Amino acid sequence: METFKLIVPLAWRSLWRNPRRTAITLVVVAVGLYSILVFAALLDAWAQSSRDAQLNLLTGSGQIHAKGYLDDPVVDRRMPPPGAKLRAALDVPQVREWVERVRVPAVVQSEYKTLPLTLLGVKPQAERAISFLPSQIAEGSYLIGNADPGIVLGRHLAQRLKTRVGKRVILMAQNADGSLAQRAFQVKGLFASNQTAEDSYAFTGIETAQKMLGIGNGISEISFRLASGAALAPEIARLRAAAAGLDVKPWKLLAPLAAAVDSFMTAFVYIWLWVMFVFMAIGIVNTQLMAVFERVREFGLLQALGMRPSLILAQVLLESALLIGVGVVFGMIASGATIFALRGGVDLGFLARGAEFIGAGHVLYPHLALSEFFEMSFLVWVLGVVIALWPARKAAHSRPVEAMSHAT
Amino acid sequence: MQPDTSDAHAIVTCRGVSKIYAHGAVEVRAVDGLDLDVAAGDFAALSGPSGSGKTTLLNMIGGLDRPTSGTVTVDGEDLSGLSAAHLAELRLHKIGFVFQAYNLIPVLSALENIEFVLQLLGIDAKERHDRAAAALADVGLTGMEERRPSHLSGGQQQRVAVARALVARPAIVLADEPTANLDSKSADDLVSLMAELNARSGTTFLIGTHDARVIARARRHIEMIDGKITSDTTGDLADVVQ
Ligand SMILES: Nc1ncnc2c1ncn2[C@@H]1O[C@H](COP(=O)(O)OP(=O)(O)OP(=O)(O)O)[C@@H](O)[C@H]1O
Ligand SMILES: [Mg+2]
Repeated sequence: METFKLIVPLAWRSLWRNPRRTAITLVVVAVGLYSILVFAALLDAWAQSSRDAQLNLLTGSGQIHAKGYLDDPVVDRRMPPPGAKLRAALDVPQVREWVERVRVPAVVQSEYKTLPLTLLGVKPQAERAISFLPSQIAEGSYLIGNADPGIVLGRHLAQRLKTRVGKRVILMAQNADGSLAQRAFQVKGLFASNQTAEDSYAFTGIETAQKMLGIGNGISEISFRLASGAALAPEIARLRAAAAGLDVKPWKLLAPLAAAVDSFMTAFVYIWLWVMFVFMAIGIVNTQLMAVFERVREFGLLQALGMRPSLILAQVLLESALLIGVGVVFGMIASGATIFALRGGVDLGFLARGAEFIGAGHVLYPHLALSEFFEMSFLVWVLGVVIALWPARKAAHSRPVEAMSHAT
Repeated sequence: MQPDTSDAHAIVTCRGVSKIYAHGAVEVRAVDGLDLDVAAGDFAALSGPSGSGKTTLLNMIGGLDRPTSGTVTVDGEDLSGLSAAHLAELRLHKIGFVFQAYNLIPVLSALENIEFVLQLLGIDAKERHDRAAAALADVGLTGMEERRPSHLSGGQQQRVAVARALVARPAIVLADEPTANLDSKSADDLVSLMAELNARSGTTFLIGTHDARVIARARRHIEMIDGKITSDTTGDLADVVQ
């Protein structure tokens, strides 16, 4: 405690002896941390947006299928609508919405072309809460009821088929007894999304699909979306318990790419942190080494007065800790203000094609968990002080004679 | 009033002390097999031409530098075996330094510079303040407590340095050219001050110097040439020089 009273004033006053250098270090630390935190918030937003884009397409938070469906998604691997037990497990506040779907491989045919795709029989009303496709209708309109006989195709697929809203296409799929079911549909609407999605999916009313495939009230999948804040793992476990004999999977397993992007973004934030930190470290070491060399006489004097080398080390280190600490606080204030100012969203419309390609939406909502914000700031401070050990050791281990000989 | 050097308790003892610097292939014997005793209460001037080894010797006695060979003992403690931390401890308790210039910590006021040493010794705030203020008064600088070194004249800075060197009641004060940067009036005053403090407190002084004023006031005059003591005169002889 006494030691602190001894070195704190000395360290603090020494900081302000060369205001220019002190300012440089402050700026280096503040700008470095600012870029780390703002970048982290943006990347986080990007990761979330690309995850949402993926999950909002059709996946949801997780899905339930008959065993074997995911390996071979054919009409035979279907299941009955959820029984009372599973229904009870799904109708809880943690599950915001769930839908049943028929989902089978099919072939679509126009006068010009025959193309493979996935036919989805959906409940249009419920689907809106899970997927954003119903709201992305570019032409025509979306399905209305469970028995809607029309079909909604992707915009790009329609171009390839040379068809348009109001015209007819033929869909073929294997039905329940193994023969080929075939049905003509009127194109009711065209949805816009990324090209893969536009080429892959066709939607009709769930009852229309069930009738065409001859599967009664059988379904292929249940997709559910959890309420925000509900933890995924325990919910999956709970649903697994309620859905004996069925296959319950979280989105991370259903959409491994989105999961990979997610962990990649997190890794990237830390890579960026290290890159920025190397720059900061160079700045800190440079300025602090200069500070130490300039004051070599003073350290010699302190040693002559009987200050132990370890105490000199502590004093110089404290100087760095204070300086870097102030820089970190500036960086936190500036980045906090920036993230707050951008919370309403950053519109990336101008590079929308690129963003869509990676799978993100157009608008990013930067945010950073408070814990992450403080953790990273603290980490930068600690690392900065560790780096400053180098100049501090130089000061403490300068030989007193050599230091004092500068005096004459 | 004439201390008998041979019988008096020796504060500093040097035995066969050498310091050899290698300048490329050439060896420089800055201090060359030197024997010296400094008795308690002495007020000794160490003179000699430039490069004769005065600073090197003072630094070795002060534990700022280590001899190439030989032993230095300060107040009964052999310095050769001590670690850097122990040497610092020894300087803190037993040795006061006054250098030619840059004696003061620039960010501390005159009073704080003196208090600093007491703080290192772990003395509490109240006593620290009183002792530092008294030390400043002893060197005639009452009223200058709050001044930073940059706002003190060279002579005043040296006085603060002397006050600081004495405040911890060391066994010996080592001064290296304390008057070299001062005008003759300030130099005179500083020498008188040191002589007076020596007489009053009995603190031992060993002063490396070229300054005739210092040599004139010293009770003992040690002369060095090429790292060796060539003459060592005490008391009356010094008075004769005067
Ligand atoms: N660090 C060093 N490295 C090499 N040689 C040194 C070093 N310090 C001193 N010397 C040499 O040792 C000799 C004695 O130097 P020292 O500084 O002790 O003399 P001095 O009597 O104090 O001289 P001055 O009156 O000029 O202060 C000189 O020849 C000097 O060049
Ligand atoms: Mg010298």
